[in-house]
Amino acid sequence: MITELMELFLSFLKIGFAGFGGGYAMLSMILSESHKFGITLEQFADLNALDMIVPGPIAINAATYVGYLSEGFWGALFATVGVSLPSFILVVLVMRFFSRYRESHLVNDILSGIKPAAVGLIAAAALTIALGIILLPGQQISNLFSDPLGTVSFVSLIIFVVTAFLNIKFDLNPILLTLIAGIVGTICLK
Amino acid sequence: MKKKDAVILWRLFYIFFKAGTFTFAGGLAMLPVIEKDIVEKYKILDKDSFMEYATLSQTLPGVIALNCASFVGYSAAGIIGMLVAGLGAVFSSFVLMVVATILLQRVAQEGALAGAFRGIRAASSALILSAAFSLGRYNLKSRFAVIVMISAFMMVAFGQVSALFVVIMAGVAGYIYQNVKNKIRGDKRI
Repeated sequence: MITELMELFLSFLKIGFAGFGGGYAMLSMILSESHKFGITLEQFADLNALDMIVPGPIAINAATYVGYLSEGFWGALFATVGVSLPSFILVVLVMRFFSRYRESHLVNDILSGIKPAAVGLIAAAALTIALGIILLPGQQISNLFSDPLGTVSFVSLIIFVVTAFLNIKFDLNPILLTLIAGIVGTICLK
Repeated sequence: MKKKDAVILWRLFYIFFKAGTFTFAGGLAMLPVIEKDIVEKYKILDKDSFMEYATLSQTLPGVIALNCASFVGYSAAGIIGMLVAGLGAVFSSFVLMVVATILLQRVAQEGALAGAFRGIRAASSALILSAAFSLGRYNLKSRFAVIVMISAFMMVAFGQVSALFVVIMAGVAGYIYQNVKNKIRGDKRI
């Protein structure tokens, strides 16, 4: 128990320190570490749905969720403290030592690489989760061309494509889209 | 503790607690809400300092809303102020997410609801993709940025490289690229 809690704490501490680019970028880092905590892709997709109804920062929601699923209440607490601690440490350092932090070219140069990378990381996380959801159990993406019907769930695929299109192109409300997907799923998916 | 100190600490907690409880979909959405309270209502900071802290919050790694709470709290009431404001910012997120996770585990994900969950998960992964698009609109304005984005995507999606490692590499790439670019242009930066 203590070992698992320390592992949660250290993983989320690391993610907090490297967490440039906001909550979704951190979400992709959490996904890439999630095998350590036994979190499935389905559980990750559920997390994103919960994010819409639970208020607050995405990274705090994610740390609490992953920590809770992995080690219960204490897991949630250790993960959340881990992801929060870098903010406190860095803010104190900035306030005490770097009065001209904002003008610092070093930080802006580094961010010019990290910001676009964050976009790629989030897209990769979306693809990884989507494949886990759209592929039928036990199937590989390599079987797609030989046996498309036996490989992917077409209803899931259509929900994915239509939701992405409506949200990206027409900025339709995500909660509404999720509700509709739930209803479509109830009718068409078993 | 002086009465005035207790009042400012309570206000810091209250402002960030309120912002953390009533804003959805991430920390960035909180900033305008916080600004109104900090600058106009309670006059804890002037607008310029607040804007500087808000910008810094997005530049530092970590949870943006928590960075902002820490800056404001620290500048208003030192380390204690920072901790109180930070606690306010994450409190609701933590408590409500623990409750939501417990409830989600209680809901039988079989039978009639299984289809609903599968539909919601497909929509949820589409919304993560959509988050990548909306971030990309702001962060992909140069050829360098596009190359970094695609490389980060390929490495994580197909190369099994850890997201954390990609972030560090992207920071190094940004630093090198900006410096080489400035050398070639012959700009002397101060």
